[in-house]
Amino acid sequence: MILEYFKLAVNNITHRKVRSWLTIIGIIIGIASIIALISLSLGLQNSIAEQFESFGSDKILVSAATFQGPGSLSIGLTEKDVETVKKIQEFKVVAPFIAKPGSVEYKGESKFPIIFGGQPKESAELFADTRTLEKGRYLKEGDHYDAILGSRAAKKLFKKEIRINNKIKINGKEFKVVGIFEEVGNQQDDSAISIPLDTFKEIFKSGDQIDFISAQVKPGSNIPEVQKKLERLLKDKRGDENFNVVTPTQILEQISQVLGIVQAVLVGIAAISLVVGGIGIMNSMYTSVLERTRDIGVMKAIGAKDSDILKIFLIESGLMGFVGGIFGVVLGTLLSLGIGQYATEAGFKLLVTINPQLMLFGLFFAFIAGIISGVLPAYRASQLNPVEALRHE
Amino acid sequence: MQKVIQLQNVKKSYNLDNVIVNALNGISFEVNKGELVAIMGPSGSGKSTAMQIIGSLDLPTEGRVFIEDVDITKLSHSNIAQLRGKKVGFIFQTFNLIPSLTALENVTLPMLFQDLNKTKQKQKAKELLALVGLQDRMDHLPPELSGGQRQRVAIARALANDPEIILADEPTGNLDSKTGGEIINLLLELNKKGTTVLIVTHDQNIAKRAKRIITIRDGLIAK
Repeated sequence: MILEYFKLAVNNITHRKVRSWLTIIGIIIGIASIIALISLSLGLQNSIAEQFESFGSDKILVSAATFQGPGSLSIGLTEKDVETVKKIQEFKVVAPFIAKPGSVEYKGESKFPIIFGGQPKESAELFADTRTLEKGRYLKEGDHYDAILGSRAAKKLFKKEIRINNKIKINGKEFKVVGIFEEVGNQQDDSAISIPLDTFKEIFKSGDQIDFISAQVKPGSNIPEVQKKLERLLKDKRGDENFNVVTPTQILEQISQVLGIVQAVLVGIAAISLVVGGIGIMNSMYTSVLERTRDIGVMKAIGAKDSDILKIFLIESGLMGFVGGIFGVVLGTLLSLGIGQYATEAGFKLLVTINPQLMLFGLFFAFIAGIISGVLPAYRASQLNPVEALRHE
Repeated sequence: MQKVIQLQNVKKSYNLDNVIVNALNGISFEVNKGELVAIMGPSGSGKSTAMQIIGSLDLPTEGRVFIEDVDITKLSHSNIAQLRGKKVGFIFQTFNLIPSLTALENVTLPMLFQDLNKTKQKQKAKELLALVGLQDRMDHLPPELSGGQRQRVAIARALANDPEIILADEPTGNLDSKTGGEIINLLLELNKKGTTVLIVTHDQNIAKRAKRIITIRDGLIAK
């Protein structure tokens, strides 16, 4: 019997094609935006997690409290702090870095990527297991005007690709490219250029300032304990707390938290569009009830119970929601895959995957939205007085 | 004789914009199984209201209505609907087919609400359409049919659940006299086969063919 009602509902929907489609489009937009936003933020989460994995979970990062990333005005850390960090025995490598945007010239073209200064030996050790080279070698002791380029800096930054042994000018000084990193998937690292710390100080006249210190613990060390120990020691030596000691896990947690809030806000906005879509269904159903008042009267005259009428109209509105859900899920998935692809091509690796659970959720949600929107109009239809309904023109 | 319809002192009043309109002022009559009854009366006499009450589309304000031996004034909404679908077949002046359904689907609809076997439903609907001479028009939508054809579909639909009673409210009112005559002949044939038929009409010629005429005037049965 339900199947027959289903046919009646399909019949009703297809007999007012334009209006049905307009109604369904409302649901499509709502579901597509929810699916796209959830997929994208899940993709973002994946990408960030992967980035941090590649950074290595056995590292501790020390930065000045005001350090907001390369290029920002950072005060606080100096060579002295590097010596303090080195006193902790659990560290295998302690690598200080400094980062500033620099003017880089290649074949008459000039750009401003971030230049990282790091000690050659320590940086090479630190990168050994996380950042592999596509070509060439890491910086080594005794290098001076030598540079390693991120893959994007080499391939996309300038019109002409920079290759190993090419010469580039940084702040007017000539450097030789000795290595090119493999792509890591975030534009900031992939566009950066690494040079020896001493050379950096010389051409940027940065004194003994340090932006951040990356330290790798020896295998088997308890990272939270080392972190606490380092915090105490730095506080002792410096006499202030103007520094941050964080582990990648902590940063990941913080980012996930922020991301969670952003996700909730975005999904909330998308949900509004779904509610609007639902109201569209409700409106369309009310019109449909009004238009078919006479038919409802006829159906009652030939034996339809109130509950039969209720079912027919609920199936109709649920069906519109469901059809909107199918298209919405497909559109939302395509949209998020497209944006993911575009972002990855633009240098930000966004791992958007097809998520069957999310798709099922979207379909179910659309169907439920349709049913809910149909409840009031369907109830109204079921309660029509047959005599009055039959008199309706 | 078995009584299929009994009205006992039935009154019906409506509230139209705060004015009480008395449509029926207490009518009583009985119809036996297999009778052919014409209900006549001027416009506004209350004959349509009487028809709606007999067909259980509406309930009386006062009085009792029996279909076979069931007092419909004591039934729940859904039981009335069930009974109506099973025992009463309506034929309207304006045909009242569902315009978006084919002739066959229209005829199947009453059986659908009685939850009958689906293949049997279709078979029966085809037989009924053949009975009214529309075997070639089964897949047509009502707007593609002539008035007479539409009323034939409506008759087939009225017969779908083998009702005890056929209620025809001005069945020829929207048809030319020739087509109308054919429709009346069809109803008479059904009556010969044993179905109780009530026809509401203005037309004396039709009324003359009935064995019994009930005239309603000002909400009362005129003697």
